[in-house]
Amino acid sequence: MAQKAGFQTDEKALIRAAQEGDQDAFGQLVRAYDQSVLRLAMNLMRSTEDAQDVYQEAFLRVYRNLNSFRFDCSFHTWLYRIVTNLCLDQMRKRKVRKEESSQVEGSDGLVDRMDTVQESRPEGDPMRSMFAGELRERIEKALGELTARERMVFELRHYQGLKLRNIGEILGTTEEAAKNCLFRATQKMRVALGDFV
Amino acid sequence: MNSCETIRTQLGMLLYGELSFDEEEMVDAHLEGCAKCRAALERERELHKAFDQLEIEPPASVLWDARQSLQQRIAAEHARPGQFSKGSGWWDQFVDALMLRPAGGTGWLKLAGALALLTVGYMGARLAPDLGLGTVGMSVADPGAQRVRSVEPGANGAIQIVLDETRQRVVSGDLDDQNIRVLLLSAAKDPSDPGLRYETVGILNDRAQTADVRDTLIYALQHDENAGVRLKAMDGLRPFVQHPEVRKALAGVLLSDGNPGMRTQAIDLLTQGVGEGSGNAPGNTLDRDVIGTLQELMNRENNAYVRQRGERVLQLVNASRDTY
Repeated sequence: MAQKAGFQTDEKALIRAAQEGDQDAFGQLVRAYDQSVLRLAMNLMRSTEDAQDVYQEAFLRVYRNLNSFRFDCSFHTWLYRIVTNLCLDQMRKRKVRKEESSQVEGSDGLVDRMDTVQESRPEGDPMRSMFAGELRERIEKALGELTARERMVFELRHYQGLKLRNIGEILGTTEEAAKNCLFRATQKMRVALGDFV
Repeated sequence: MNSCETIRTQLGMLLYGELSFDEEEMVDAHLEGCAKCRAALERERELHKAFDQLEIEPPASVLWDARQSLQQRIAAEHARPGQFSKGSGWWDQFVDALMLRPAGGTGWLKLAGALALLTVGYMGARLAPDLGLGTVGMSVADPGAQRVRSVEPGANGAIQIVLDETRQRVVSGDLDDQNIRVLLLSAAKDPSDPGLRYETVGILNDRAQTADVRDTLIYALQHDENAGVRLKAMDGLRPFVQHPEVRKALAGVLLSDGNPGMRTQAIDLLTQGVGEGSGNAPGNTLDRDVIGTLQELMNRENNAYVRQRGERVLQLVNASRDTY
């Protein structure tokens, strides 16, 4: 607890310094959060390129608008509001365009685009099959059928480990509404997976 | 008494820790007396585990690329009026470095092929603020980085300022030039600039067959705080994975590197060929040390993806998950 309190104090000082023009402080703020921002964007967008776009745009917005940050909420919440809004916009555009299969046509037939995200590795990777199985496909498909908000709440709760209260704050809604959204998302996933699990 | 149907709608939230104290009490009390709902809870756990399989951890190289692009875009923003006008930190140093490097992104040191150009003493220097206002009689040497060492009020209202100046000097030569090599080996450990270390390690990778370069790459792999630099060093060591000192360093990465992407790559390198089964070489053997390291990893690894990779390799070589 003391450590967390210490971090928050340090973070406040960092933000204030960055607001006053200390770019080293701004760099430290970016490094404190950018890995989790990129993880969130990659998990939501399921595309390295789109995730990179979200990352760039989010931190540029932070850079441009940091002076308007007034500590009404935590920096984490403020940053995640920016990131989730960018992701929601992108996801809704995709729905409109009736994109987006996670698979693309490759030289060997259909290839999962997220396979290209992993680091280069030896040919014939024995683990690859673990992630190309039917279960993965079903979950991918089920995730794709969630609404953008359901997808977002599920991502923030299941993969990012945020509490529903915090998720509600980020998405501008109540804890109860976030809970209902998560309930609907998991229910849809359960139904889509049938007796597979 | 709560119905099983009501309880089962709560199981997901129970696993997420999102039930109130009273709700959790109610569910726990029901589960104690209901085997069917306990089985349903187990199924819910399996479902959550299945979801976990889809989690993506950004590889270190993607994060590195993202940071580099952001730095470049911030540099462009920085040039706009009204943005962060003061400061000489990490971002400024990056901007300053950009100004010195040819445009076009990465690989500035590689532009002349085997010819290396190194700007000495500039990267770590802190430029003094623009002293263009009222510095009559003062020569602000250029090119040259300056740092104010001390200031002292003098007679008649004059102020005496002592400046440290670090002048730029360009040294050129090919990678086999001993002087160039020494400078590169030093730049690879420069604590102030991860970008410089990344580029330098990339160049040194072409000479990893020599022991001093290999030692530097191993040092970077083990000690560099930046995952992008560590990953680059690992790339350079890839052809030398059979060397004992490289294997030892990779085993160290596997057990102590905080980045799951690095640990995954270390597994790949240490277990090259396992499970490929090409031709007459089934590739299902692995030396005992690596098996031991993987077994030790299984005892401490928290990342599901890395665990699965490790487990899979152990399974392929018919080794148990436990240590001997």
